[in-house]
Amino acid sequence: MDQDTLVKSLHPLEVKVLLTFGTGVPLTAGVLGEKLGYKVGQANQAFSWLCGKGLAHETGRTSKTVYEITELGKEQLAGGTPEENLLKALDKGPVAMAEAAQLLGLEQKDMGSAYGQLAKEGLVAMDDNKRIVKKAAESPRLKTLRTLLQKASEADLDESVLSEDEKAILSANAKKRGAAASVFKVSERETVVYELTPEAGSAVSAIRAQGVTGDELGALTPALLASGAWKTGVFRPYNVAAPPSRLVIGRRNPYQEYILGVKDKLVSLGFEEFDGPLVETEFWNGDALFMPQFHSARDIHDVYYVKNPTHAKEIEQPWLDRIAAAHTNGGDTGSRGWGYNFDRDFTRRLILRSQGTVLSAKQLPKAKIPGKYFGVVRCFRYDQVDATHGADFYQTEGIVLGSDVNLRTLLGLLKMFAIEVAGATEVKYVPGYFPFTEPSVEVHIKHPVLGWFEMGGSGIFRPEVTKSLGVDVPVLAWGLGIDRMALMSLGLSDIRELFTANIENVRLRRRS
Amino acid sequence: MPKIEVKQAGLERYSTLKPSVDELAEMLPAVKGEVDEVNRETGVLKLEFNDTNRPDLWSTAGAGRALRTYYTGWLPTYEFFSRPGRSLPDEGRRVTVDPSVNEVRPYLAAFALSGPAMDAVTLDDLIQTQEKLCWNFGRKRKSIAMGVYRSQSIHYPVRYQAVDPDTTRFQPLGLEKTLSLREILKEHPKGVEYGPIVAGLPKFPFLTDSRGEVLSFPPIINSAHLGAVQTGDQELFVEMTGTDLPSLTLAVSIVACDLADAGYTILPVTVEYPYDTPFGKTVTFPYYFQEEVKAELGFINKLLGINLVGEEAQNALAKMGVASRYGNGILTVIPPVYRNDFLHPVDVAEDVAVGRGLASFEPERPSDATIGRLTDAELFGRRVRDLMIGMGFQEMIFNYLGSRRDFIERMNISGTDVVQILNPMTENYEYVRNSIAPNLLEAEGVSGNALYPHHIFEVGKVVRLESSHREGSVTTNSLGWLSAAPDEGFNQINSRVAALLYYLGKDYKVKESSDPRFIPGRAAEVWIDRKAQPEFAGVFGEVHPAVLENWNAGVPCTLGELNLDVLAR
Repeated sequence: MDQDTLVKSLHPLEVKVLLTFGTGVPLTAGVLGEKLGYKVGQANQAFSWLCGKGLAHETGRTSKTVYEITELGKEQLAGGTPEENLLKALDKGPVAMAEAAQLLGLEQKDMGSAYGQLAKEGLVAMDDNKRIVKKAAESPRLKTLRTLLQKASEADLDESVLSEDEKAILSANAKKRGAAASVFKVSERETVVYELTPEAGSAVSAIRAQGVTGDELGALTPALLASGAWKTGVFRPYNVAAPPSRLVIGRRNPYQEYILGVKDKLVSLGFEEFDGPLVETEFWNGDALFMPQFHSARDIHDVYYVKNPTHAKEIEQPWLDRIAAAHTNGGDTGSRGWGYNFDRDFTRRLILRSQGTVLSAKQLPKAKIPGKYFGVVRCFRYDQVDATHGADFYQTEGIVLGSDVNLRTLLGLLKMFAIEVAGATEVKYVPGYFPFTEPSVEVHIKHPVLGWFEMGGSGIFRPEVTKSLGVDVPVLAWGLGIDRMALMSLGLSDIRELFTANIENVRLRRRS
Repeated sequence: MPKIEVKQAGLERYSTLKPSVDELAEMLPAVKGEVDEVNRETGVLKLEFNDTNRPDLWSTAGAGRALRTYYTGWLPTYEFFSRPGRSLPDEGRRVTVDPSVNEVRPYLAAFALSGPAMDAVTLDDLIQTQEKLCWNFGRKRKSIAMGVYRSQSIHYPVRYQAVDPDTTRFQPLGLEKTLSLREILKEHPKGVEYGPIVAGLPKFPFLTDSRGEVLSFPPIINSAHLGAVQTGDQELFVEMTGTDLPSLTLAVSIVACDLADAGYTILPVTVEYPYDTPFGKTVTFPYYFQEEVKAELGFINKLLGINLVGEEAQNALAKMGVASRYGNGILTVIPPVYRNDFLHPVDVAEDVAVGRGLASFEPERPSDATIGRLTDAELFGRRVRDLMIGMGFQEMIFNYLGSRRDFIERMNISGTDVVQILNPMTENYEYVRNSIAPNLLEAEGVSGNALYPHHIFEVGKVVRLESSHREGSVTTNSLGWLSAAPDEGFNQINSRVAALLYYLGKDYKVKESSDPRFIPGRAAEVWIDRKAQPEFAGVFGEVHPAVLENWNAGVPCTLGELNLDVLAR
C-alpha cells in the first residue's frame, strides 16, 4: 500500500492516535480514553485497525479484578438496601418480623437475612414481644456499601485501588456468575497494551504532509447541511477501492429476460403473439394436426391425460367435422386421408398440451392473411425428468400465412431467425419429418460459441390441416429450440436449473 | 423415431457405395436419417430415421436401397408382385383363413422365399426389421406381428384360425415344455410382454399347417419346431397378422424387397378369406395396392417457389426411387412397391424438393408486411413484473407440475379444484398447480441459507377445475409473491398490495379471509370495485405457521396471489 492510499484508508480515530502518541509509548484503551476522550469501543476499534495496517502492535496483557454494579445494585442504590430500609422503618417504632417483611415488600428469607446481619452488628434486636427494635443509629458498613454502589454506578471499581474494608464488603456482595441476585458482579478484566510501530512514524509524516488532522468531516448529515459547518470543514476522503457490501435487488429472472428478448425480436419481425389454456383436447393437440389417431406418438405414454373430467363437453364445429373428414378420406383437402374410422370420443379426451403447435392450429381459423403469429408457451411431455427434459418446458412456435409463401420463403424465414434470434453465422437445411408439415425442414445453425446444432423444425402445414381449418393459402409453420440458447446464455447445462426454486441460485445468475 | 443398427459392410453391400462415416453423415439427410452412434471397433452404426411413414428405411437393406437410389441413379424394380386383377402363380402355397379370426385378428399376409444359405448379416437384419416394423409401424405388434418359419417342413395349406386358449397347447420357442395358450401369456416372457393384445379375447389366433403342426400363436410367439429359424436356412415362410390389411400388405412388401435385395427368390403365397377384405377374398402376396397420385406441376412449383419443367421434376423423383409419368402439366407418380406415403400432391412436392436437394433452393425473405404485437395478457404481465421488481422482488420461474404432497397436503387445502394427471410418470409430477403459492413456499423452504430478507414472485399460469367450462378447467394468468424476513408481517404486505393496485389503477376493498393457508384474522381478500358488483381478485396475508412448518420454513412469511386476468379487465 502506498502512503497516499494508506492515509486515505485511515479513520479519524486512527489519525488522532498516530498524531498524539509517539512510537514506544505503552497505549491502552484507558490511555486513549484519558487523552483523546475515546470510549472503550472506539479505542479498541482504533487499535484493531492500526494493528491490521501494521502501524501498531500488541506488547502485552495485564489482568485485574473489577466490580461492576448490577441491575439490582442500581435499584438498591436508588431505593435503598433491605437493611437500610429496615432501619428506616424501625425509626417509627418496633415492628414484628412478618409485618416488616410485608411493609418492605421482602420475602421472608430476605427479611431474615437482613435482620440477621444487622443483629450480628448489634444494630437491632428482638424485644419481648418478638418485635424488632433499633439499637444503634449508625452502621459504617452500610455507609461504605452505599459509597461503593455510588462509585460503581459511575465507573467499574478496580480492586487494586480498594481498601481491605471495601474489598471485604464487595466480596460479600458480589458474584462471578448468576450475579442478578447480587448488587455487584465481579470479573477478571484484561487490559491489552499496544505500541505504535516504527512504520507509524512514516505514516505520521504522510498524514502531516497531506494536512490530515483527524478532525475531517465524515458522513454528510442533514445537521451539517443545516448548520453550514461543512463550509469550514474538510471531508475525509474514503477508500473508494474498499470492497462493497452485498446488495440484494429486485430483478427479472434471467431466463424470463431471455424469453422476453425473443418475444420482442419476433414482434419486431412482424409476428403477433398467441396464447392458450394448458389443458387441451386430443382434437387440437393431435387430430387437428393430422396425426392419425392410431399414430404411435399418441399412445397413452406420450401425453398426460387429465384424470377427471376425462372429456371435453364438445369440440368446436365445423372444425370437428372437417378434421374428421380429412382423417377418414381427405374431405375436401385434396388428400386421400389416413383411411380409418375417426373416433369422435377419443378426440374429446382432455390432456395437457404436449406441443406448442396446438396453438398454431387454433390460430388458423381466426388468422389474418397475410399474417404472422408466434407463441412461447409451456408444454408437458411424458418424459423422464433429467438434464435435458423437464416435466414442463417452453416451446417457441409460430406460423406465417400468405398467398405467396413457399419452400424458399420458409428457408428465408429460418435464415432470418438463425441470424436475428440465434446469432448464427452459418445455416444448413436438411429434410425433416413432422406429421403436420410437408415439405418439412430441419434447420441446423453454426453458433459462434456452441458450434453446429439443430435450431428447430419447420415446414409447410399440410393442406389436411390448413384447408380443414378454413385457410386456403400456404402456411409456414416453425418451432425454435430456444432452451439450448438460453442455457448457453446463462452459463448453465441443466434445463432443470431454468426452473429452480433455489432463491440464491436465481439471485446470483446472470447472462453472459 | 426408429433407430436401427447396421454393419458398415452390410450397408456397403446394399448401397453399392463405400462412404466413410463422415460421408455417410452427409448423405443420410437425403433420406431423413442421421448417424446416431458409431462403434468403430465392430463397424456397427446406429442410424436414426425421422419419417415414421417410411418403414422401408428401417433395415440395412432398405437404408442401403434408398442411398443407392439417391446417389447412383438406380431405380429398383421387383417382379414378384401380384396386382389387382393379376395374381402370380402360388404353386400351391396357400393359407386358408377361418371365419373365427374375423373378430379376433382378421388379416394375414404371407410369402415364401428360397435362396442361398442364410448368413448372420441377413438373419440379424431380418430380425431387426421384424422388431422395428412390428414395434414402430405395427404399434408394438398390436396392428402388425410377424413370424418367420422354415418352409421345407410346412405342409400347405397353412390354416389361420381362432382357438380355445385353455385347451390348445404347444411348445413355444424358448421353453422346454408344452403350455396352453393362456399359460403362455403368464409364463413366457413374450406372453407377458404382448399378452395384453389378446388377453381379453374369447379365442386366440393360432397358425398351423395342414397336418396340424403348429407354426405360431400370433402375435405372441412361434412354435419351438417350425418357428426356429437359424443361419444356414435356405427356405423360409414369412407371415404377418394384424388388424389393418393395407399396413400389413405394405410391411410384407418391405420385407420381401429386403430379402430380394439380399439375393433370395420371393415366392408368392395366396391367402383365402371367408370374408371380404379391402383387396378381395383371395389375395396373392406380395401384393401391390398403392394407387397412382396425380399432381399438377404448377402446384408443385408454386409450393416450392421454383420453376421446373416436367423432366426435371421426374428426375428429382427418380432419385427418391419414385417412377413417374408427365403430360399436360400433370405429374403422375407411381409409388414404389415398398412405400405408401403419398396422401396428397404435397407429398410429391416434398420428394421433388428432396430429390433436387434443399441446398439448391435459394432462401427468400417473406415479403408480406405484418404488424407485430404482444398479447394483452403479456403486456399487462410486464407492467405487473416491473412493479414487483420496483418493490425489490426477485422474479422466479417454476414448473407447473408437482406432487399431491406439495400442491395440496402441505398447503393445508382440500385440493378439490386441482387438476390431477391420470397417467403420471412419478407422483412428483402428478398434479397441475392451482396456485403459485406452493412453488413460492418450496423456494422459501429450500433457501433458508440465502441472505434475508427474501422477496420473490412469479407471473405465470395456474389451472383450476371448473365444471361449467367446456374443457372442465380454466387456465388463469396469476401473480404470486412471497416475502420472508424476521420482521415480516401483515402491515408490510398490506402496503405492497396498496402500492401495486394504485399503480395498476385499480380501486379495491378488502374483506377478512378465512383461507386456511393464512393465520386467522391476518389474511384479506381483494375485491376490485366494479360498476355492477365487486369482483374477487385474490388473497394476501401472513402464512400460517402450520403451513410454514410443512415447508420447513423458519422465518415469518407473507404471501399474496392475484388473478391477473381479473385485474386486466
